[in-house]
Amino acid sequence: MTTLSPPRPGPARAAGSAPRRRPFLRRYDWDAYLYLVPAFAFYLVFLVRPVVESIWIALFDWDGITASEWVGFDNFAEVLADPQIWQATLHSLVFVVFYALLPTALALVFVGAIARIRVRGLAAFRALLFVPYILSTVVVAISWRWIFAETGPLNTALRAIGLDGLTRTWLGDFTTALPSVGIIGTWVMFGLAFVLFVSGLQNIPAEQFEAARLDGAGPVREFFAVTLPALRGEIQVALVLMITAALRNFDIVWNTTSGGPGTSTTVPSYFIYREAFVTHQVGRASAIAVVLTLLIFAIVGAVMWLTRDRDAAAPRGGTR
Amino acid sequence: MPTRRMRLTGAAAAVTALALGLAACSAPGGSRTEPSAPVEKITAPVTPEQVAELGEVTLSVWADQGEQDFMDQLVPAYEAEFPNVTVDIQFKSFNDLTATVLNAMNSADAPDVAQGNQGWATDGALVKAGLIRPLDDVADAYDYRDAAGDAITQLQWSEDGSAFGEGAVYGMSPDNQMVGLFSNREKLAALGLGTPTTLDELEAAFAAAKAAGQTPLVLGNADKASAMQTFSILQGALTPAADTREWITGAKGADFAVDSNGEALDRFAEWVAKGYVSAGYDGTSPDDAAAAFASGEGVFFIGGNWYAGAISDGAAFDFTPGLSDGDYASSGSFGMPWHVSSKSDATLAAIAFVGMVNSPESAELLAGIHRVPIQPVEAAGDDAMFAALLDASATQLDGAGPLYWYGWATDTMFDTFTGGLQEVLAGRESADALLERVQSDWVDFHTD
Repeated sequence: MTTLSPPRPGPARAAGSAPRRRPFLRRYDWDAYLYLVPAFAFYLVFLVRPVVESIWIALFDWDGITASEWVGFDNFAEVLADPQIWQATLHSLVFVVFYALLPTALALVFVGAIARIRVRGLAAFRALLFVPYILSTVVVAISWRWIFAETGPLNTALRAIGLDGLTRTWLGDFTTALPSVGIIGTWVMFGLAFVLFVSGLQNIPAEQFEAARLDGAGPVREFFAVTLPALRGEIQVALVLMITAALRNFDIVWNTTSGGPGTSTTVPSYFIYREAFVTHQVGRASAIAVVLTLLIFAIVGAVMWLTRDRDAAAPRGGTR
Repeated sequence: MPTRRMRLTGAAAAVTALALGLAACSAPGGSRTEPSAPVEKITAPVTPEQVAELGEVTLSVWADQGEQDFMDQLVPAYEAEFPNVTVDIQFKSFNDLTATVLNAMNSADAPDVAQGNQGWATDGALVKAGLIRPLDDVADAYDYRDAAGDAITQLQWSEDGSAFGEGAVYGMSPDNQMVGLFSNREKLAALGLGTPTTLDELEAAFAAAKAAGQTPLVLGNADKASAMQTFSILQGALTPAADTREWITGAKGADFAVDSNGEALDRFAEWVAKGYVSAGYDGTSPDDAAAAFASGEGVFFIGGNWYAGAISDGAAFDFTPGLSDGDYASSGSFGMPWHVSSKSDATLAAIAFVGMVNSPESAELLAGIHRVPIQPVEAAGDDAMFAALLDASATQLDGAGPLYWYGWATDTMFDTFTGGLQEVLAGRESADALLERVQSDWVDFHTD
């Protein structure tokens, strides 16, 4: 991760790490931590406390207003036994492919291509590709609803090239609704992955490419030997962001299909919303939220482990 | 250089904050709210003199954003009649309002007046938590009960919020919303047909339209609710309205899984199979469908009378209530009910506000902005579409009445019903299987 750097322990660190035995409280330099107190207090009040409270509320049968009743892990048992939740989770995993894997793969192909050529106006190109990511998701959803509509541009284009048989209302069809919503995610996330990878690409010393070329590497070999390993950090960041977005996806689904047709595009976040605000089962809503959070942790953890720096001591890029 | 004492203080502060954060965990929720200062029942409309005794007050009001045009006229009239009251009104989108009104009414500075929504999710929860005042006396004092007629049951709850459709009136709503049949007059005339009033005539018109190369029925169901509303025209024609209402309000032993409802589902699926329904309806928004119909596509559009904003040309289009087979029953209800907070410290001013919203005088204001009032109005004006809306509303209320909305039946019924209906229409689920699921949702909810 590159976003958060650890607190800089200040000049007294040498003393702190000296081999002399000191009592616990004096072993560290506590001054440094004092600077963290405001941020930590904020973090505690607005992040840790709500999380702890959610876990706590999940243990109650509560309508959000009147007295609650302790039910232990019953809410979790109910949630895990609910086939609708499992179906929704499965949809989320499909979204991981569309929201994370596909944009990463596409962006890598593009980056691999521009690593060898000089792109005029790269900055403008990059800004343009990033636009979908910063657009309001409601705007994105409405635009794509139009693109996918019965008389929308996609079907018009298909008819123009004689593929009338393929036309359909993409978001209203039981088989195509889920991948169609997924494609919207790919479009949104591609810009993020691309921008991250391009900035990573610019950090690779030109000598590495030269060396690879002198050694006779073709574009494919160069991509796998130089570009891909050098982008490991960026790929990791991109995957974590995009997988999280995929698993907690709600707004795009809500504004395109509302989970339909039937239950073909339901997602866990929808059930959190429904239990909390419609059926007033705040305990169950919290239980779903906790399960979803654990799932996100597990998947993101697995991805970080898979993309970990296996040879942290080697120089970046590791071609020598 | 900080002293060690300071360092220790900092560490102690951090630990204390952590402990406080975690110690917030006592069992969530409080007890049922009991009204702090119960106000005597009123017997006549609240007078300015009574309200003046409250001194200078600010009346906090939460309303749906659809009420804005109406409120722009009503609030000044109210403030003129009750000069010591300042109305502080906040408008919310429907989703926002229904999702947050319960917590707002439960908060320390709850609004004095707020709109809810019929059914268990909002009104039922408000009554259960004791957050709103019963309005039986207000309904009588403002001649509301007579105007509402039998349909007043949609505003009634038992005191503990466990029974819907009986008990005290907890809200009042001034306008009527209903699903009806919009038809394209010119196209019907070209087919040699008039506006159909029976199910057989409607299906014959569909067949004739199809044969003439027209789209018989324009539907946009991306919101999932629209197909359910369309279905109500069929279901209302085949099943007695009283049975459906009893089922929706949760009367003991009510059953939706009856043959006539199965027939209604099968016939709707048949409409789709025969190509009577516009292609791609599940991926089309209802607003887009209404706009397409208004611009001349298709022969019929089944939808709420609120689409008259988009389908506004009364010379080109007609609006009729449900079919005569079922004595004009179709989905419908009053608009979002207005409630008085049981925590209000200006209860009389709040009652005066809700009373005025629902008074015969305000009916004229509503008619002026083409909303269909429950209280009788003098004249429809010269707008043909609005005249049709008034006519349809009166026909339905005099006939079998509104069916209410299937989604009210339980707090998960909207999802069960709408999702299932999409499956049935696509031929992926049988009518019987859906009816069984719908009824088991109902049974689960009422045995909890």
